[in-house]
Amino acid sequence: MSVVEVTDASFDGFVGAKYAVVDCWAPWCGPCRRMTPIIEKLAEISAGEISVGKLNVDENPKTSRKYNISSIPTILVFKDGKLEGQMVGLSPTLTAEGIKDKVLEL
Amino acid sequence: MINADVLIIGAGPAGLQAAIHAARKKVSVVLVGKPENSALAGAHIENYLGVPGKADGSEILRIGTGQAEGFGCRMLKENVTSAARKDGGFEIVTETDEAVRAKAVILATGISRVKLGVPGEKELFGRGVSYCAACDGNFYKGKVVAIIGGETEAAASAELMTAYASKVYWVAKDIAASENMVRKASAAGAELVRAAAKAIKGDDRVNSLELDNGTVLELDGVFIELGAKSSADLAMDLDVMPEMDDTIKVDASCFTGIEGVYACGDVTGKPWQMAKAVGQGAVAGTAAAEWVRANVGK
Repeated sequence: MSVVEVTDASFDGFVGAKYAVVDCWAPWCGPCRRMTPIIEKLAEISAGEISVGKLNVDENPKTSRKYNISSIPTILVFKDGKLEGQMVGLSPTLTAEGIKDKVLEL
Repeated sequence: MINADVLIIGAGPAGLQAAIHAARKKVSVVLVGKPENSALAGAHIENYLGVPGKADGSEILRIGTGQAEGFGCRMLKENVTSAARKDGGFEIVTETDEAVRAKAVILATGISRVKLGVPGEKELFGRGVSYCAACDGNFYKGKVVAIIGGETEAAASAELMTAYASKVYWVAKDIAASENMVRKASAAGAELVRAAAKAIKGDDRVNSLELDNGTVLELDGVFIELGAKSSADLAMDLDVMPEMDDTIKVDASCFTGIEGVYACGDVTGKPWQMAKAVGQGAVAGTAAAEWVRANVGK
């Protein structure tokens, strides 16, 4: 399962899944590039369980404003369409497996 | 424009030892970095083979700099502000706008401190506190921000943020960035405030910054930009992907996996010890010089 490109228009529908994770990023952001392999791996290991997407904050300002995003990368976590968690920035302990476990515990 | 076979970034024990070993292999070597920014400056060493008592780290750096120069290494005691791959090699630019082109690069930048350690910093991270102006500047269009730090990354960020924010304060007690960079930031409209940050305040989001001189700046965002351009950013500019803890993975010859790019010292991970930095410096300097001689020609 690959990472889905989410936009302002498709956002609400996308996060309406049982579990959804959206990586908010921008092309000029170095730390965002480092997040990419983790998000790709998350999509791979949680196929069928978690919908995994990425949102370009530059092209989709409406969603960024709605969720008060002011630092990227930010990962938004949803359960049944409701925002349940927000992770900002990189951390040395961040892994795809760790995110998956946390989300499925919700 | 300066041309070199091997360019070393970082003037600590790893970078200086790499310079010595590369220069002795008869390739041209340029080292860019400020010895006083090394973790060894101001430290005392008592666990390095053959050095008795408590050796003064700054003195080791001073002697090491002389040794590297003695073997023909050219030293530029400045920070690197940008790096890129260019024409099959590499090009970096320093804080005085000096460009250096090289066939191989050794990253010996060490691990820099990024956290300020003031109240409010941790609590308001992601809600007005940022460590990356280049990433988050766009979220502060028409807003008031402060950049904290006295080195080159703060100067570059202050200049950059004037393109987005309606008002940019550059908060720094001491300035270590070059006059060139300070002039650029000021000319762009950043207001230099000579003070130290004491606390970042706000309830849900940042709304002010308290300084040690009693002043309180009302603002929307605080960018903490300590030190020089980070090793992780430099590495990515050269197509090397750092680990999540900002270290750079290398093999036994200090090779990063990207042709012509080597790394040594604290930036490759623990132990953060001079003995390991020196050992890896010797390996990286030798490997980079041999790679240039074998693959690019002399």
